[in-house]
Amino acid sequence: MATDPDQIDENFYDQLKKHYSIDEIVELGTFIGMNIGYHTFYGTLDFYPMFSPDGRLIDQDESRKIYGTEVKSLTGRGT
Amino acid sequence: MLNIQPIPIEEVKDPELLELMAQAKELGVPDEEFILVLARVPSYAKPILKAMLMAHTQGNVSHSLKEMMRIQLAKFAGDPYFSQLRSKKALAEGLTEEQITSASDDYEDNPHFSEADKVALRFSDQMYLDSQKVNKAFYDEMKQHYSDAQVMELGAMMVLHYGMQVFMRTLHPKSSSN
Repeated sequence: MATDPDQIDENFYDQLKKHYSIDEIVELGTFIGMNIGYHTFYGTLDFYPMFSPDGRLIDQDESRKIYGTEVKSLTGRGT
Repeated sequence: MLNIQPIPIEEVKDPELLELMAQAKELGVPDEEFILVLARVPSYAKPILKAMLMAHTQGNVSHSLKEMMRIQLAKFAGDPYFSQLRSKKALAEGLTEEQITSASDDYEDNPHFSEADKVALRFSDQMYLDSQKVNKAFYDEMKQHYSDAQVMELGAMMVLHYGMQVFMRTLHPKSSSN
């Protein structure tokens, strides 16, 4: 849904229905839609995790050094 | 026929959801088709619909501008359903089809749009097409026209509506998609 929504077609929904109820598919679809929206927007806001991988509370400068400036999940999107 | 069928409206019994449906009907966005798909999961339907209505109609940024951004996003999402809906409130405010069309096309060259309108339309234009362009320089430009709260208001509106537009796009059988 995020990278190639054309792949989410009738056949895909038929496959989903073998494993999930209709209500569960609606739940997943809205959850994914919200996450597509939020992660892209938040990726543009240039803020970083509050904690280091080992659990220390860190400031944004240190976090940026640890986690990098590129939002990897967005790389190549929109091209 | 959608890949997930809406439930019959008679099956909606939750008074809060019925009230939100009435608000959506008055606005015109979203209409019953989407809501009745969502209504299969009332615990999701209520907060999502409430947030969509709030983000679209409340806050401190022009509703008509948000409506142009919403339709622009729906077109980019390839969703024929949401892109054809129109806010009755925005139309009553004077929003025209010419403005809506321009907002998704040549808005940068349209002298009828203010610089504030144009940067907001660029916000929605770039967010899901090329989010790398929505960078510090872009936000600095946004802040010349909008407060931080207004930027977040526009961002949250886009998030909610675009997310549901992408989901709705997948629900239309490909043979009936525009």
